[in-house]
Amino acid sequence: MICSEAFITTANAMADVRGAPGYRYLTTPHPVAGLTPDQVRQRAEAIADQVSRLLAQ
Amino acid sequence: MTAPDRDVAQAAATPDPDLAREAIEYCYEQGWTDGLPVVPASEGLLEQFLAHTGRSPDEVLWRMDHLDRECTVRTAAINAAMAGCLPEYFPIVLGAWDAVMRDRAAKGGGWQSTSGPAPLIVINGPIRDELGINSTGGIFAAGFRPNATIPRALGLMLRNAFGVVPHVFDQTTQGIPGRWAICFGENEEESPWESLAVETGLEPGANAVSCTLTRTYEFVDNRHTQDAEQLLADFADTLSRTGSLIFRGQSAGVVFCPEHAQMLAGAGYSKGDVKDWFIQHVGRAEADLRRAGKDGVSGSGPGARSASESERAPADEFTPFFSARKDVPIIVAGARNAAISMVFRVFGEWSNTSVEIEPAPVTAAKGG
Repeated sequence: MICSEAFITTANAMADVRGAPGYRYLTTPHPVAGLTPDQVRQRAEAIADQVSRLLAQ
Repeated sequence: MTAPDRDVAQAAATPDPDLAREAIEYCYEQGWTDGLPVVPASEGLLEQFLAHTGRSPDEVLWRMDHLDRECTVRTAAINAAMAGCLPEYFPIVLGAWDAVMRDRAAKGGGWQSTSGPAPLIVINGPIRDELGINSTGGIFAAGFRPNATIPRALGLMLRNAFGVVPHVFDQTTQGIPGRWAICFGENEEESPWESLAVETGLEPGANAVSCTLTRTYEFVDNRHTQDAEQLLADFADTLSRTGSLIFRGQSAGVVFCPEHAQMLAGAGYSKGDVKDWFIQHVGRAEADLRRAGKDGVSGSGPGARSASESERAPADEFTPFFSARKDVPIIVAGARNAAISMVFRVFGEWSNTSVEIEPAPVTAAKGG
């Protein structure tokens, strides 16, 4: 899971309520909504390695 | 009775304010309040609420699977009591909840939205008079117990049953002023048109509640013209704001004051005619949308973000905001003392239905 940094509190609370406290996920800088498709692609490239590592754990 | 006896009797009849405050503070400590004091709910009070519905206390009104939480009729009753409702209001609270949960947005996580949408609750039928629900002067203002406490009950249900509290599961960025305080009767007596409940398919005279999630409220003060088209154009200008545009396809309505509604009806407009006029005239030219960075909602644009060069429509192309009558809810309420109405924007999509308010069981109606 990836969420923007503005939603960390909610994401952690969600993990708690689903019985998975400390659930590991990745974050990307906020905001995301106004990004162009190219900017979204850059974000994806920047985080791709971390996604691979997290999935491999 | 001697004087000391009278003092003792009087003291026994007067509630102890210190005890009351202690109970209220206890509720604060439990995190049960929305910031204002709540009415401490006893078992006895809860029983009175439950006596006003034929539904089982254990019936699940709604379940939010992702939060693993649900609200039963009993939990709703406790929160309605804490909100300051009278037991007689409880069938309306249940009906309002059922009505708003017909909204796709409410079912889809709207309660936790960064928009912080407010439920708009409209009540039709003779129950308005029976319970003292305000439908005339000051419908958006304070001063009437059912108008103030019924929407607050929904807010407390969200908080206490589902755990949707600010800064955690309630992700509201700023929210709507009076988020838990928008509830009024339709002014059927001074409306020239069929009521909202009848329009949505219920029988005339039925007690009904309608509810949808809303984003903003903005007044239209027009005592300046007697020309219906000019008046409609003034409303269309407010309905055509770019600031509230998010996606392609909008929904916004009007709470007409009786004076505006009667003027339009006098010029031959039915409620449907007014909706059709708005469908035709509410919207913006591509150039306006582009100026605001919202040309993505027009032409072949992507929707939520600004359009690229190839996605743009011609500068003078008009983008209508509404596509169907259901996108433009119309209600008549307020006093007939000035030509002041309210435009409101629907958060998602109104279900375009009303819920018939369940009559209280006979035992409760008799005060049992």
